[in-house]
Parts: sequence; structure tokens; C-alpha cells
Amino acid sequence: MIVAENLVKEFRLTERKPGLVGSLSTLFTREHRIVRAVDGVSFTIPAGSKTAYIGANGAGKSTTIKMLTGIMTPTGGRCLVRGIEPYRHRQANARSIGVVFGQRSQLWWDLSVPDSFRILRRIYDVPDPVYRRNLALYRDLLDIDALGTTPVRQLSLGQRMRAEIAASLLHDPAVVFWDEPTIGLDMVLKDAVRHLVNHVHRELGTTVVLTSHDIADIAAICDSALVVDRGRVVHQGSIRDLLRTAERRSVVFDHRGGPDPGHACARIEQELPGVSASPAEDGRIKVDYPVDRFTSRQVLAFLLERFDLADCYAPEPDLEDVLRRIYAGGSRSPLAAGVAGPGQGGAA
Amino acid sequence: MSGVDVPEREGTPRPSPAARVRHYLPFATGGLQSLLRYRSTFVTTGVTAAAGAAVTVFLWRAVYAGSPPGGGPGGFTPEGITTYLLMAQVLQVLHANRVDDEVAAEVYRGDVAVMLVRPVSYPVVRFFACLPVVAANAVLVGVPVLALFALIVPLTVPRPVDVALFLVSTALSVLLAFLVNLLTGMTGFVTTNTWGVRMVKQSVVAFFAGQLVPLALMPGPLAAVASALPFRGMVDGPLTLLLGRYDGVAGAADVLARQIGWAAGLTLLGAVLWRASLSRLEVLGG
Repeated sequence: MIVAENLVKEFRLTERKPGLVGSLSTLFTREHRIVRAVDGVSFTIPAGSKTAYIGANGAGKSTTIKMLTGIMTPTGGRCLVRGIEPYRHRQANARSIGVVFGQRSQLWWDLSVPDSFRILRRIYDVPDPVYRRNLALYRDLLDIDALGTTPVRQLSLGQRMRAEIAASLLHDPAVVFWDEPTIGLDMVLKDAVRHLVNHVHRELGTTVVLTSHDIADIAAICDSALVVDRGRVVHQGSIRDLLRTAERRSVVFDHRGGPDPGHACARIEQELPGVSASPAEDGRIKVDYPVDRFTSRQVLAFLLERFDLADCYAPEPDLEDVLRRIYAGGSRSPLAAGVAGPGQGGAA
Repeated sequence: MSGVDVPEREGTPRPSPAARVRHYLPFATGGLQSLLRYRSTFVTTGVTAAAGAAVTVFLWRAVYAGSPPGGGPGGFTPEGITTYLLMAQVLQVLHANRVDDEVAAEVYRGDVAVMLVRPVSYPVVRFFACLPVVAANAVLVGVPVLALFALIVPLTVPRPVDVALFLVSTALSVLLAFLVNLLTGMTGFVTTNTWGVRMVKQSVVAFFAGQLVPLALMPGPLAAVASALPFRGMVDGPLTLLLGRYDGVAGAADVLARQIGWAAGLTLLGAVLWRASLSRLEVLGG
């Protein structure tokens, strides 16, 4: 289980002067600007869950991950990973976690992937059967053998990310923190990575904490979501609950006979105030309704009464739309959402 | 913040020293594998070291050319001063462990974060990773340079006991060089201009270690300053033992004791500064 209690991280950014003299002068006189990247975040991530840690750029995701992995010490509050404070007991914590930083390589730059794995195996004391089982898994799912003996620095981004992901799971960690793990992967490999993490989760009950800007990653891997905005938690719960916060949902239907799609849309919009209807592909019609005024049942009842329905379904709300609204909340300006600092959550 | 690195979770037994070494050895073997991909580095280092040795050796041989049979300035014979300067060059090659460059670069780029997600101590990792560099420099650069000069200039033949003492002292000097370079690299936490700091360190070490000028030839006050600094144990210490320029067992013990004392002191300083740096580490971006 992972717990954060009122977690705060402030950065003191030194205003540096240029040049050697300037750099040395910062040893004696310093001017600072304080930036609060994580602003009193509290959450609980149950063991064995697969949680998406979601937020706009600069929302404090990576900073929180760095505190949970023991790299950085919080300015205030605390966090616990499996009962220990990672930054106080960094090495003990490190034994039970696996980490991918999409932006940074943790492989040996001048060595091949198999050589890096051999080193990791020794560092983490991976037992032989586990090591062999995991290599077989990576061979099957990630085609890891294709990377051969090429040094890591000569691998493409996609090849390297495959190795990074495998490396993070090599020692069967109880918790994995993946920060942007699918950068540079094509669709087939993204699928493979999602399949791998779901497989590992099923077999070992691994707790997964994922940050990604790829909504498809989140949808394919995670069962719960933690949404942060400007350093604060604005939503915590299952992905399903998150989707329920959508302001608008839709129903798509196909009908026989009756009015042509253009007329049908006009009629629906006229009779259901606040609803918008538009022709969708294959002659279907998509009805968007505000959830605070109608239930899907009411919309369906209306449609059944007016049209001879051939097909009808209510798709899940679009996660991307939900998140876009959360990110844009508060200030309404998408650019302002990228600035770390105190601010109130914008979830409606 | 206290206890960033060492304390283990309660209930988890601390690993035995053997187990700890086992966790760090892969960094040494991995480092060796990386090194072997860059063989040309050693040629460059070798040529640089040989050229540096040639300049100082021939310069100082000219200075000592007319010295009386009992020894010239500082009590060195021409062979003695030649041996001193040549071995000083070899020691410098052993001290070129790249730790300052690598630590500074990793701190500056934030790659130190990646090292911190592993269940190992970063300074200890750096120590093990520099061992193959030191060994390769010794075998591929130090020995050939020494052999080359042994053929062309007369050298002092040391007593076996002095060679033994020298080897022990050299091992300590390698440790001192590691610690000095680690501390130099860690300035990356407070300044982005680690290049400047490294340049300053290089000059200070070369001078106060007695690599350019033996401490015995320095004017009194300067020699006193040099004696009080840790750098003395990097060149002057081992060569004092090699050339038998010490006073009995007590004299030899004094040289080694100073080296051990400084190694302990710098280890402590490094550990304290490392923890302080970690607790306020700020890795932005990525």
C-alpha cells in the first residue's frame, strides 16, 4: 500500500549569475525563488491496484514519483511505500520497487542489454528460476533477444524503452512506478507492454503506478485513477468513477424509416432542451446530453418512443474529454495549467 | 534529514559485508566491459603521461647535472630526482579515475536520480566503478611508461622493503584520489560550473601533492602548508617510502598513518556531505 499524507515539495530555484565567477558567487550569496511543485497531496493507493497518476504537464506527477521512489525528500508531510518512508530508507525501498523514467535511461550506456540485465540480476539478487522465467517472458512478449549485443547507446528509443521496461520488472518488484513508459513505442509494442504489465500484475499481484499522457495506456492498464492538478489531488477513485464525472454523455442509435438524419437531429434538439444531436458514420445519429438534466434512461425512452430503433448503444464517456476539462478547470486557460503553484482543483 | 542511505527497514537483517561487496562487484565488471570498448583512450593517456614525464624528467636532470656526489638540492641524486618525477607521473595516471567528471556530470544532468532507485549507495558504486579504470591505467599506461623510461634514463633501484611499503602507500593514495575526486564531483550540487572547480582541483593537487616539485624542494612555509593538506599522501607520501627518504620504522609509520587518517577524514566528510546533498536533492524535469 502506498500512502501520501499532506505531501509537499518545494523547490528553491537559485537565480544563478553567468560565468565562473557568477557560479562561485552563488556559493556565498544566493537569491531564491520558491516553487511549490507538490502542494499538500494526500492519497492512498491500495496494494495490488493499477493506478494511473494523471495530471497536466507541471502538475507535480514526476516530483511525487521521485519522493515515492526515495530520490527526493519532501519539504513537508510524508509518504509511505509498503510501510516505509522511501527517502529515509532508500535502499530498503529500492529492493521492492521497479522504476521506469521514460526521460532517463537506467541501463548501462556502453553495455548491451543482456549485460545490463546480468548486472541488475546481481544487484537485486534475483534467483535463477525467476531470472530465467522473466527473460523467457520478455523474449515472448517484447522480443528482447532482437536487441542482441548492441550497446544501449546505439539502440533506437523504442528498442531502449523495451529494455527499460523489462529491466524495471526483472527482480519481481512489489511495486512498479512507470513514468511515461511508452514513449517512442509503436502501437504493436505499446500493446505488448500493456499485455506484459497486466500479465505480471495477474501473476504476482504487483502494484502499478503509472503516469502517462497516452490515454490508451491508462485505459488499457489501469483500474483506478489519481488526478492531480497544480500540485493537488482533484480526483481519486476508479476509472469508472472518474468517467462518471463527465458532464456530457452520449447515446448512438440507428433507425429504420422515419425522418432522414437531418430532420431527426433537429427534432431531437427541439424536444430535448440542452441536447445536441449530430449525424454519425453509417447513417447513425449521436445524441449528446448533459448528465445533470437527463439520464441515459430518459434519453433512451424518448428515442424508443419517437423512432423505430435498429441499433442503440451508450459509449463510455471519453476519458480524454474528462481530463481536458479537469486540466482546464480553475483558470480555463490550458497554458496556465502548466504552471506549478498553489491553486484550487477544478473538478466540477 | 538523517539516514538517507544506510538504515535498513526494521526486521530486515543487514546484509553481511560479503553480500554487500557482491552487490557492488557488478559495477566493477560492468565498468571494465565499458572501458574495453574505448581502447584508444589508453593510447592517448599513455602518450600524454610519457610526454609529461619526459618534460619534467629532462628538465630536472639538467638542474641536477652538476650536483655534488652526495646529492643535490633536497638531498636528491640525479637518479633519485628522476625516479621521483617519473613515479609521480605514474601515480598521477593511477589517480586519473574519472570520478570527478562522472559524478559532476551525473549530478548536473540529474542522472544521479536513476542511480538512486537502485538498492545501492552511490558513492560506493562510484568507488567500485573506478577500480577497473585505475587497474587499466596501471597496466596499460603506468607500466609501459615506466618501462620506457627505465630503458633510456638511469633510475634508483629501491630496496624490496621500500617497494612493499610503496605499494601499500600507493593503494592508500588511490583511495585518497578517489575521495578527493568524489568531493570535487559533488560540487555539482552547488555549482553548474564544475569544469572550473575540476581545473582548480587539478592544479592544487598537482602542486600540493608534490607532483610538479617535490615537497623537499619547497620553501619552508609552503612545505608546511603542503604537509598539512591531504594531497601530500597522494604523491609525496608513496615516493618518500619508495626512495627510502624516511627515518626508520617510525618515519614509515608516520607516512602511512597520515594517509590513513586523511582517508578516514575524507570518507567521513564525503558521507556527511553526500547525505546533506541528497536530502536537498532537486531533480527537475523528466
